[in-house]
Amino acid sequence: MLYELVQSTVSGLLIGAAFAVLSVGFSLTWGVTQVLNIAHAAFALLAAYLGYFASSYFQVDPVLVLVVIVPLFFVLGVGIHQVLIKITAQRAHDLALSSMILTFGLAVVMENVMQVLWTPDPRVLKTSYTGKAIFVGPIAIATTHLISFVLAMLTIALLYVFVHHTLTGKAVRAVWQNPTGAALSGVNMGRVTNITYGIAVATAGIGGVVMSLIYTFDPSTDMVWLVYIFLVVILGGVGSVLGALLAGLIIGLTVGISGVFIPLVWVNLVLFLALILLLLLRPSGLLQR
Amino acid sequence: MLVGLAILLVLALLPLARPSTYFLGFMLILFMYAALASSWNILGGFTGYLSFGHAAFFGLGAYTTALLLFYLKWSPFWTMPLGGLVAAVFAALVGYPCLRLRGPYFSLVTLILTLAVSIIILNAPWTKGAFGMFLPFPPVDIFTNHVIFYEVMLALMVLAALVARQIERSKLGMGLAAIRENEDVAQTLGVNVTWLKMEVFLISAFLTGMIGGIYSYYISYLHPSFVFDTLISINIVLMALFGGRLTWLGPLLGASILSVVNEILTLQVEAQLARIVFGLLLIGVIIFLPDGIMAAAAPFIRRLLGQSRRRLRPSSG
Repeated sequence: MLYELVQSTVSGLLIGAAFAVLSVGFSLTWGVTQVLNIAHAAFALLAAYLGYFASSYFQVDPVLVLVVIVPLFFVLGVGIHQVLIKITAQRAHDLALSSMILTFGLAVVMENVMQVLWTPDPRVLKTSYTGKAIFVGPIAIATTHLISFVLAMLTIALLYVFVHHTLTGKAVRAVWQNPTGAALSGVNMGRVTNITYGIAVATAGIGGVVMSLIYTFDPSTDMVWLVYIFLVVILGGVGSVLGALLAGLIIGLTVGISGVFIPLVWVNLVLFLALILLLLLRPSGLLQR
Repeated sequence: MLVGLAILLVLALLPLARPSTYFLGFMLILFMYAALASSWNILGGFTGYLSFGHAAFFGLGAYTTALLLFYLKWSPFWTMPLGGLVAAVFAALVGYPCLRLRGPYFSLVTLILTLAVSIIILNAPWTKGAFGMFLPFPPVDIFTNHVIFYEVMLALMVLAALVARQIERSKLGMGLAAIRENEDVAQTLGVNVTWLKMEVFLISAFLTGMIGGIYSYYISYLHPSFVFDTLISINIVLMALFGGRLTWLGPLLGASILSVVNEILTLQVEAQLARIVFGLLLIGVIIFLPDGIMAAAAPFIRRLLGQSRRRLRPSSG
């Protein structure tokens, strides 16, 4: 029992970091621009597919594909903002709700295009290190989990440094805290929102590759991932990088540890009920001051 | 008014022309979505609380009548109000805390509630879970069967539309509009926002549950993934928004147009493409028609309803 507990704590933490990197971009766009990008998980899924095809057809490691995915998704994010979000922001009475519906439409389109192109078959990513593990004493750590953990932590650390220690990052935070004040202080709003979208969608790409190292996926998996994103963002507080990390780890732990005590089907229910409870008690997030 | 009654009469008498069962089946699903979108709109359109989880009420109603039929042999035609009641009781349980949330938080919590309910139903022993439940057909031939469901769905659509219309023109409707425009101000001015929101949440859930109660009997094989489907919730939202969510007529219009579009695309091309077009429509509506096609078509419809215009808008004169 104790062994199982330690083992699932370790793997829960590793998985939690993946949840965090998957969600942090969603949290940023929500915080900075009041847009709930439902298609965030669909972008992650797209990256997972790109990684999968690179590794199965060209024997390229999916982690290396990130060199292409990150800049590509950055441009994609800027594009989404320029083409769709900007117009919506100008016309909508209530941006949060309108954007939610708009990006839901986008997610439905992406999901079904992926289904047409790549069939609904579930995919399992096979890398050279899949199925291998590192042993720390009696505790086994799957190599894929370890790599995804390192990748996730690296991304979050870079993002944290960007948001808190660069001028552009500080502008992003300023817009998040007070858009009018930021604009009055000479922050270039268009540039800041473009960068926010670029970074958000780029991290979605990393999140997708990281998740594909751990889980199987198919064209409708984005809805499952979306629920994890909601959990992380609401627990961690909207717009917070560190909050997303902490929340991701907590949720990973919850999934890991509750899996020891209750059957797997009920784990999701526990998560959902926890989220509902959290929304009702502290809608601003547990980790927000 | 007269035009509306005439359309209704034609629809009600349509089965006399002995159309194909396929056509009746298509029409009754159209009526169902029109009824669902109307019920949703009381909350989502009039009040501005966009529920992304109406499939929960739909599914609860469906399972209520299905279980009563399966275990007690009670006909859903009589038990469908019970389906609505179960949905309304569930709404009452979750309503007070959920309706304190605003904007996207409310939408998120309703979405996740549906997933939670779906997991419970899927794993409960008496619902046959993932095996699904086979329900007996009504003891009539297939054409009569379709005619019965056609008329019942039509009646439900009329009921939902009438309720929405009545609410829109009542004092309740004005209170809801006040909540939609600015809830804090409404509360300050003495609108009992908590009770009004609860009231329409229950009405909306009740109607949705009743519709679900009949749907399960019609499809005769019930599986949690059929009725607790997020796509159903989203279709309802899309139809209401597409039609226009500020009037009772909007959701009916939206559901009719989108059902036809969906059917043509699914038949002529394939289901996937239909969904892609659906997604594109969703994007297009938000960008080009934020108030729905009702706003664009209002002058035409007003001319169509000609003489009753003054009665339509008593407050605007």
